[in-house]
Amino acid sequence: MKKLYTIFWTLFLGMNANAQNTQAQKDTAKVLEEVKVIAIAKKKIQTEMKMAVSVDEFLASSDNISFIKRGAYAWEPLLNNMSTERSTVTIDGMHVFGACTDKMDPITSYVESNNLSAIDIKSGQEGSLHGATVAGSIDLKRKSTPFSPEKKYNGAYQTGFEFNNKQFFNLGNLSYASDKFVADGSISFRKAGNYYDGNNNEVNHSQYNKFNTSVALAYKTSPFSAVRVDAIFDKAKNVGFPALPMDLWLSRAIITSASYKQLFQHGLIRAWDTKVYYNAVEHYMDDTHRPENLVHMDMPGWSTTYGLVSRANLKRGDYSAEIQLNAYHNLSIAEMRMYPQDRSKRTMFAYSWPWVTTRFTSVAMNNSWDISENSRVNFGGSLGYNYNRSKYVEFNWIFHPGTPQEKSRILPGLHASYQLTINQFNFSAGGGYGHRAPSVSEGYGYYIYNSFDRYDYIGNPDLKNEISYEANASAGFKNERMGIEAKVNYFYIQNYIIGRILSLGSPMNYQSVGVKGYTSLDHARLFNMALNANYNILQHLHWKGTLTYARATDDKGGNLPFIRPLSYQTSLHFMYKKIGIQTSLNGDLTQINYSPEYGEDQTPAYMIWNISANYSFNIKNCKTVLQVGAENLLNEYYSTYADWGNIPRMGRNIFTSLKFSF
Amino acid sequence: MSCTKEKTDYEAEINTVVTEHYEFKEAAAISSEGYTISIEALNGTFYKGYNEIRLKITDTRTNENIHASSVTFLPVMSGADGSNTSCPHLYDLTYNTDDKYFTGYVVFTSESNTNRSWELYTSFVVNNKNYPAKQNITVQEQPNKNLNMTAFTGKDGEQYIIALVSPQKPTVAENELIAGIYKFNQPASPPSGSFPDPSQFSYTAVSNYTLQLDPRMPEPSMGNHSSINNKDLTQQSDGLYYGVVNYTMTGNWTLNFIMLNQNGKILKGTEVPTDFAPGVEGVKSDLYIDILF
Repeated sequence: MKKLYTIFWTLFLGMNANAQNTQAQKDTAKVLEEVKVIAIAKKKIQTEMKMAVSVDEFLASSDNISFIKRGAYAWEPLLNNMSTERSTVTIDGMHVFGACTDKMDPITSYVESNNLSAIDIKSGQEGSLHGATVAGSIDLKRKSTPFSPEKKYNGAYQTGFEFNNKQFFNLGNLSYASDKFVADGSISFRKAGNYYDGNNNEVNHSQYNKFNTSVALAYKTSPFSAVRVDAIFDKAKNVGFPALPMDLWLSRAIITSASYKQLFQHGLIRAWDTKVYYNAVEHYMDDTHRPENLVHMDMPGWSTTYGLVSRANLKRGDYSAEIQLNAYHNLSIAEMRMYPQDRSKRTMFAYSWPWVTTRFTSVAMNNSWDISENSRVNFGGSLGYNYNRSKYVEFNWIFHPGTPQEKSRILPGLHASYQLTINQFNFSAGGGYGHRAPSVSEGYGYYIYNSFDRYDYIGNPDLKNEISYEANASAGFKNERMGIEAKVNYFYIQNYIIGRILSLGSPMNYQSVGVKGYTSLDHARLFNMALNANYNILQHLHWKGTLTYARATDDKGGNLPFIRPLSYQTSLHFMYKKIGIQTSLNGDLTQINYSPEYGEDQTPAYMIWNISANYSFNIKNCKTVLQVGAENLLNEYYSTYADWGNIPRMGRNIFTSLKFSF
Repeated sequence: MSCTKEKTDYEAEINTVVTEHYEFKEAAAISSEGYTISIEALNGTFYKGYNEIRLKITDTRTNENIHASSVTFLPVMSGADGSNTSCPHLYDLTYNTDDKYFTGYVVFTSESNTNRSWELYTSFVVNNKNYPAKQNITVQEQPNKNLNMTAFTGKDGEQYIIALVSPQKPTVAENELIAGIYKFNQPASPPSGSFPDPSQFSYTAVSNYTLQLDPRMPEPSMGNHSSINNKDLTQQSDGLYYGVVNYTMTGNWTLNFIMLNQNGKILKGTEVPTDFAPGVEGVKSDLYIDILF
């Protein structure tokens, strides 16, 4: 019986791998192998440099993620150098869509590091399990405590202060586990002032306030089944966006789900997990703190989504698979109300998202077949149906007269890869093909102001599906002492969607210089490369290095925007008894392949030096870690290729943090 | 969780400054020798600008709607200085056989006030007898700016009037824009016969002119914002001028016009700057009509 329990809580753990319980995982690794069908690389929510990271900082440590930054908060993750339209970002498979037309609220801004256990990143079509994608998928895994035969309380409290922007944060989480019942809760507060750049100048409007809390309850309905309800509430207030002409007054999100999981001891199907979910996001901008604004404008946005995710895990012999059904319904609404200088006059109103409904359904399957001891084939596919409807289609008719109010698309996807291990070497090669539908903004956006290139963007409901053909390969070597791995991928994307200057029409937002319409390029090409190496110099001294390079061109050979130049990171990690010391250097080389056509200028090279030290000790049964460190120790003044409006990044930042866990 | 801010009710939003009238109601009634002439207009009110009118003649004894012939309609404004002028109108009303009323239009060029009053002169023939009648009426200000009008003198020295007919209630969309363009016919001879002599007060809808259109938002913060896919107004078979205007958002808009005669010669209007000029009140053509919705 005890074994059954073990299977059960391992499973619970397996899909929400709580990497912090490494000991528990080792014990049950065998069982885990059986039920956890396809290996997923998961990382715990902390970087080598810093243990109290934000979700953004954590994502930044992944080598295929880069960020567009509009300030100190809510960075937009780019996967394989592609923006969020091209990837699916989910929370435990749940689709959540931001309510801001200016992408000030990526989904990653509505969670907090202490309610996540891991982030699962998949590149390209391998990520099509959660929905149609080109770039891949980012799935934020909720923290989930397994059932326990004995009653157990676990908890952690973390506090810290960062000197540069006077960020003060408090993160707490608590869990209770018993044989039949599990409860998880978390709460966090972060408050930061303006940060200072490398010239010690204050970057105005870079403050933020964030509150996040979550609760999850699970009840075991039988030895092989359980129900779980989960809710996250997030509220950000008074968030400055120095690169934009407005700030955030308030955003709130409530993200809820209820799921039922059933395990099977025999047969092909091993586990089946079905979840219904609902989430609502509201986002209100505020331009009243910007005296330079000629016109006051309200820009509220709302996004409501409900959906279903149902996943079955299959296993027989050397073959294993995951099948997932996704279905969701989203309504996105965004308004613009401009106030005339004479406030007694009539306000001016338009929708930037004219009540756009998206319904999406897909069935996806990933299969894995171990051909021999050292080789494996992965293959899979997805078939999606995407439906859009614009309630106030007359807005879309202004630029696209007579375009249909409703549009349906079929979105197929396929992928396959082969993995081979020969002694200490491993190789893989794969390919993929997939479609994606235009996003709400790309299809139905109306005068959405983009402060990067200073154009108003108009969606086009008649855009063709973007079609991606990708190839990827990797080669690696690993022994006790060192490891090295090279990964490359190449995307040939047909009907690549991008904004092009419209010779007609005039801007609506007074800061803009013109109107761009989303159009399809005949094709675009993207190439990404990453080289990772690690070397254990001494027993307690480890070196790690990463080199990434990307190149992307449009159909005329011109550069695409937001492509990371050659960048590097090298770090040393020294551990001795209770002390750990880490230091790292990272930077980008000069951006050679920038794109003036899309509003970019050349970003010079920069290099940042970071250092931190931590000390672990126990107070009774309470594990305590104290960390002190400095980011950008040399106070370099810099901005990166993806910093909106070239706003400077943070200068020297000394951070401290203290964590208690039991 | 209820939202912190309420979503805009879009249908109500457009209704805040625009009331659309659908119903024709009696705006004036004139009695003449046993007959009652009822003149109907939208909302039962004569407004400055374009008014479609419907006229019904009833025999007061039998209360029957009668089909008279040669029904005429002439509005005359008397100024405090003793002047008499008229405005664009259809003099010989046409009979709508389906709905059994006479139909026409009048474009009042000013509201009634203490210095000027409007008088309607009508006449009709029943059994070969002519029945003239007149009635003082009140012309009210048009609260709906989408039915605005403008009067001007063209480069050919003629007096013109442009009046907006439709849409009464525009939306953020492509709107069919309908206007009437009228010209005062200078009398060829001095007045004769009993007052009023219609030849002294004659207006006609001009033929085959073109009204070039450039709509813009004049608000300084809108930086001379315009829209695309607009179409110049050209004359259709009903004599009115039809074009297309796109409004990209609610608020104040200026319809900048250039009026060309049938030979393509500019009679009024100037090109407006097309550049984006944030913070500056939009420059208008010297022929324009402001609207608001």
